[in-house]
Amino acid sequence: MDVLRATVLLAELPLERTRLLDNLGRIRREIGPIGPELSDALADHMNIRRGEVHEVVSFYSFLQVSADAVRVCTGPVCDCFGARELLERTPGAIEVACLGHCDLAPAMTRGDEIVPQVTHSTNNGPAVGLGARDETLAEYAARGGLDLLRNLPPLERIVGELKASSLAGFGGAGFPTGVKWEAVSQEQGLPFVVVNADEGEPGTIKDRYVMELRPHLLIEATLIAMRSLDATEGYIYLREEYATARQRLFRGIEEFQAAGLLEGLSLELVIGAGAYIAGEETAMLESMEGRRAMPRLKPPFPSQVGYLGRPTLINNVETLAHIPAILRNGGEWWADLGMRGASGTRLWSVTGAVGTPGCYEAPSGLTTRELVDEYAGGFTGDVGSIVPGGAASGILPPAAIDAPLTRDGLREYDAGPGSAAVQVFPTSYSPLRLLAETMRFFAEESCQKCTPCRIGNRALHHLFEELVHGKAAMTREKVDEWLLAMEKTSICGLGQSSPFPVRNAMEWWPELFAPLEQGVA
Amino acid sequence: MVEFTLDGRKVDANEGELIVHAAARHGTFIPTLCHDDKLDPYGGCRMCVVDVEGAPRPLPACATRITEGMAVSTNGPITDFQRTLTEMLLSEHLSTSPGGRPNELLDLANELGAEAPFVLPDAKREEYDDRNQLMGYDPDACILCNRCVRYTQEVMQCSALSLEGRGGDARIVPTWGLSWLDTECELCGGCLSVCPTGAIYEKFEEGTKAPERSLEQVRTTCTFCGVGCQVDLNLDPQTKHIVKVTSKSEYLPNEGNLCVKGRFAFNFVHHPDRLTQPLVRGDDGELHPTTWEHAIETTATSLKKTIAEHGSQSVGFLASARLTNEENYLIQKLARTGVGTNSVHSCEST
Repeated sequence: MDVLRATVLLAELPLERTRLLDNLGRIRREIGPIGPELSDALADHMNIRRGEVHEVVSFYSFLQVSADAVRVCTGPVCDCFGARELLERTPGAIEVACLGHCDLAPAMTRGDEIVPQVTHSTNNGPAVGLGARDETLAEYAARGGLDLLRNLPPLERIVGELKASSLAGFGGAGFPTGVKWEAVSQEQGLPFVVVNADEGEPGTIKDRYVMELRPHLLIEATLIAMRSLDATEGYIYLREEYATARQRLFRGIEEFQAAGLLEGLSLELVIGAGAYIAGEETAMLESMEGRRAMPRLKPPFPSQVGYLGRPTLINNVETLAHIPAILRNGGEWWADLGMRGASGTRLWSVTGAVGTPGCYEAPSGLTTRELVDEYAGGFTGDVGSIVPGGAASGILPPAAIDAPLTRDGLREYDAGPGSAAVQVFPTSYSPLRLLAETMRFFAEESCQKCTPCRIGNRALHHLFEELVHGKAAMTREKVDEWLLAMEKTSICGLGQSSPFPVRNAMEWWPELFAPLEQGVA
Repeated sequence: MVEFTLDGRKVDANEGELIVHAAARHGTFIPTLCHDDKLDPYGGCRMCVVDVEGAPRPLPACATRITEGMAVSTNGPITDFQRTLTEMLLSEHLSTSPGGRPNELLDLANELGAEAPFVLPDAKREEYDDRNQLMGYDPDACILCNRCVRYTQEVMQCSALSLEGRGGDARIVPTWGLSWLDTECELCGGCLSVCPTGAIYEKFEEGTKAPERSLEQVRTTCTFCGVGCQVDLNLDPQTKHIVKVTSKSEYLPNEGNLCVKGRFAFNFVHHPDRLTQPLVRGDDGELHPTTWEHAIETTATSLKKTIAEHGSQSVGFLASARLTNEENYLIQKLARTGVGTNSVHSCEST
């Protein structure tokens, strides 16, 4: 460690607790991995207790790792496509749970560089229009952007159109967006707007596509939210792994600034440090406030008590990206874009055993077969299993490829469309391996605060790892009891939803779980 | 006051009262592990989940405040979760009560008939050995309720312990794994007093392996300073020797908190060198036991003699840190009006 450089840098770093994560990120990039000396020095500089900085540094995966480290993704899609072999032949590489580049599986990063090089396989849908690939603000404006920001509709009309569209959050939870905006607008006190760009659900790449291909669209939508709700401060919480999106957003914000479109407003990027759970909205607020990203107890909800205790609108990147088109063409126009009674379009991340993995804007309500055949180049072989919407959404048998990818359509499979990250696994990849890898992910990413999530996910990961070798450490009855406790008593969505893929797999592939029925081996 | 329903009974609660407190006042015990009245509600262990009508899922009684008309059930199927959560905690609880302190997790396990279905293969945590002589810590007995860390942050406002890492790697450890002696820790032992499983414990040479619950408790006032902390001296039932000092959160003024002296510095009581009666130095130059009357008389005579020979300015008073405010007041009164000197000092003033 270069003590002189560290001392000079430290003197420059701001003292507010909300800058802790940012400061740690700068120290890591400019000085090196953060050990006890740097952590204590920053704690003393910021007048925070050393133990609390230690807690924060150790929570995030990347702060104690060099900024140019080689990271290999072993998320389920990457694992299926040879990540373990890649890890073995890449000396010094660190195994990480998800890099958010499943369309390039197996994906690897060397510092900010993505390997293989980032490519986008997409289409030009009616609402988000990823095909536009705006390079500059001028290009975005030439395609009809910025009109809403320059001619802001009144809040009542915005809320009305959002409600008419029945747009609901695309992060996975599906809360009605119009209701959320209205709730924040009715709270007392100056609100904040936070964009959840901490996409981390394995298989999900849609927000990255938006930020890399249409950054100005996201920024405009965020500014519409800020102006409508009278918020003067907005934040985009972006996962650290999205280096390309980081550069594009950073430049985009600068362009808006130069064009005088940020008058009286501040819009900042907050860069995460490697923690899936920071994508949970209250954990994200904790992270932004300079603490471990551990979810808060709800209620109160962020729309009431959010960032720094103030009312806060938190919207997912994709959700915001649909809003300009909705306001321009009307909520009903957007709603009619859906199929089979579902509303609107979605950005579908399609990865795994398909011809052209990528992110496609397609109607809600289509089936996996329609999505893959019409957009993603068809299936490349026999389908073994499908994950319809991110790790926690469920695991479906091949028969489900003709089920509409909606809540209702997947109800009979006890699964949901989640974040619309459709992952197709070939027959050569065992559903048990898929399940074990999924539970490993949840176990490693659990913030550890609540018992059912911290221990339940770990136990199930071990159980399924051993089950691959025919050993069963728990009975089926006990597994069911534990799953119920996880679902019902976990604090946040991580522990509450991780039982779903387990129950699915046990139902659709009972033969793989037979040792559980026979009791403890 | 608000009214709410507790297991079908209409009962009252204070505005904003936590369910766990209101239920206790009405005779319903809800088990908790991570909860401590000294600390902000945390809701981590989930042991206290109860059903609240209208809530989409069970809520933690330790962190949920009662509102008018709330309907709470603490019995029925909800208690199955308590057993399952206990099983989960037991599945990584490799060590039980290393220092003889009570283990609330094992109490719950006994009550609920919970057993670990299996031991997590990665349950073993890195051992922790600290060169300090007062507190020991066995990570394998820790259930990550985070009470100790929250105590250091919320009550003591110091940096002694950290909740490190996440997922299965998470552990409680003195900041950056240092010895407590190299952190801001003052060895007050507060973390130890809030630990529900005895993972942090008093590390004495002898007499502490006995289960804490087998000890006799005698309540008294700590003699170390004028604050007047209330303590329980814990006696070995056979030898009647003090083997540890504890306190309770209902004790005033200290609310169960103690300092390093109050909690750990009691070995003087049974020390062979301890003065147990007044001594006066005789003409032979040796100290001899005597009565209090004779000792005070001798002191007074010597003082008067010194003042007569050298004047009152030749006398100064040094008061002990163990005196109360009132006693210190009397000392300065004696010095100023009795002897006529302003040379009065207490080592507490520094």
